[in-house]
Amino acid sequence: MISGMDRLVAAAKGETSDRVPVFCNLIDQGAKELGMTIEEYYSNGEYVAEAQLRMREKYGYDNLWGLFYVGKEAELMGCGKIIFATDGPPNVGQMILKSYDDIDRLVVPQDISSHPAFQEPLKCLNILKKEAGGKYPVCAYVTASMTLPAILMGMEKWMELLLTGPAAVRDELLEKCSDFFKKEITAYRNAGADVIIYANAFGSTDFVPMRMFQELSLPWMERDLKPVGTDGVVYYCGGARMNAVLGQVIERLGLGTYYLSPFDDIAEGKKIIGGRGLTCGVINDIRLIDWSKEEIRSEVKRMMDAGKPGRKFLFGTLVMPYVIPEENIRAMLEAAYEFGGLGGDDK
Amino acid sequence: MKEIIAAYNEAIFDANRDRALKIIREAVDNGVAPEDIVFKVVVPALEVMMKGVSETRNVSLAQHFLAAQIAAEVTEDMVARFRKAPAVAGSVVIGTSQGDFHGLGKKIISGCLKALMIEVIDLGLNVPPERFVDEAVAHGAQVIAISSMMVHTALGENGCLKVRQILKQRGLEDKIKVIVGGAPYRHDPNLYKVVRADAWAEDAITAGKVIAGLIKGVRK
Repeated sequence: MISGMDRLVAAAKGETSDRVPVFCNLIDQGAKELGMTIEEYYSNGEYVAEAQLRMREKYGYDNLWGLFYVGKEAELMGCGKIIFATDGPPNVGQMILKSYDDIDRLVVPQDISSHPAFQEPLKCLNILKKEAGGKYPVCAYVTASMTLPAILMGMEKWMELLLTGPAAVRDELLEKCSDFFKKEITAYRNAGADVIIYANAFGSTDFVPMRMFQELSLPWMERDLKPVGTDGVVYYCGGARMNAVLGQVIERLGLGTYYLSPFDDIAEGKKIIGGRGLTCGVINDIRLIDWSKEEIRSEVKRMMDAGKPGRKFLFGTLVMPYVIPEENIRAMLEAAYEFGGLGGDDK
Repeated sequence: MKEIIAAYNEAIFDANRDRALKIIREAVDNGVAPEDIVFKVVVPALEVMMKGVSETRNVSLAQHFLAAQIAAEVTEDMVARFRKAPAVAGSVVIGTSQGDFHGLGKKIISGCLKALMIEVIDLGLNVPPERFVDEAVAHGAQVIAISSMMVHTALGENGCLKVRQILKQRGLEDKIKVIVGGAPYRHDPNLYKVVRADAWAEDAITAGKVIAGLIKGVRK
């Protein structure tokens, strides 16, 4: 029987498999699956692992997530307040950087693996590896140095510092965030994560002008990734577009997978990547809240038609809001399995 | 004047605050009227950027952010030097929906609105629906602007839906209009109807124009 890992490896190599691999980002839905509140759910890594395994089995997609919530990284950096919602992802409730002086005082933890805030994710990853290691890729989410400040000081203050603040202060913060990134990615790899989603929305050209992307984002991406290597790293900009910079990122960093924006043209992205990596076409999953089954099928077919020729293609989701009806999740996945089939000429 | 406009627009597109402010300073020193700085340089630059967004979508959030901040800053400085105090076009209360702690979009919109001579009452982050309405009434605002970065805070029962319910209960729907914005609405342009807002805008600069239209409609 072909596993999710088989499909992913085949797609990465451009080899034959039964269908296009499908990554489905069901995160907070785990709480619903176990009949818990979101706060209770994230209190124990065993719950998260159990729900991840159950949901993958139930829906049949190809990946597992070790991600709790993005604010977990702020906790690792010293944030003590997370605000839990009943129907969506938790929010960072306290910005640990309130002034530029706080940047100087910010201390990056020496060892992430032994950090108290990492123990539940670690427990979750250990279970996922034990139960499904080698069969289904286990994904971790690690935020790039250009983007991490947004959850440490708020998007607004980070934008101000980035654009009009003192360069020395900006660079000191980026240096610390890059140091944190390297320690975090190492901790996740040591815990068995196969796929690292390298999240860099703030470093994208939807957030900063192209000139700043070239002069600041790219060099900091290099500083993040060169020392730790790019094995299993997926370039992801949180829904921001990346087609305009794909060529530069490939040339400078040579990552293996590019997780496009729903607003990127899949065929164009694939053409730019040109076989130098795996292209992930991403559905605009906010529309799954109210699309009809026919609309969902038609959109998935359109995406597969654009991405499947020539293989080296992966189908992915973005944020998968909590309120998407279960039947619509099923409709999307069934369409992805049907239209992503690699038969005849596709093979 | 043409050179000033071109140089200012270029500085804004380069997200270069220092250069933009220097151009304005030099223009004032060379005798350009403060009224002309606002109405012939600053506001049209926002419109040029809006055109860039709709035609190519190649304008980054940083450019929006800076354009709005510089516009607000220059306008505030210039208005103080106007020969006659300008008429305020209207008032808006703005904030993020309850449970939402992302203030970037709100800040950009506020800057644009100030340049359009619209008074902004900023309620901050995580604003309960009752407060949106109470503050709008207290300040005589024609528009409530609700920013949401996350789907659950956009669609949730304590967001725009509740604001609409309160406006209806208090018979204020003709006097106060509601506009929404933020990432979920860009991903689904019909979502504003689901939350029963009167309007939405894809970006902050467009929002300024839409809000100005809503104010005009209420004032009629």
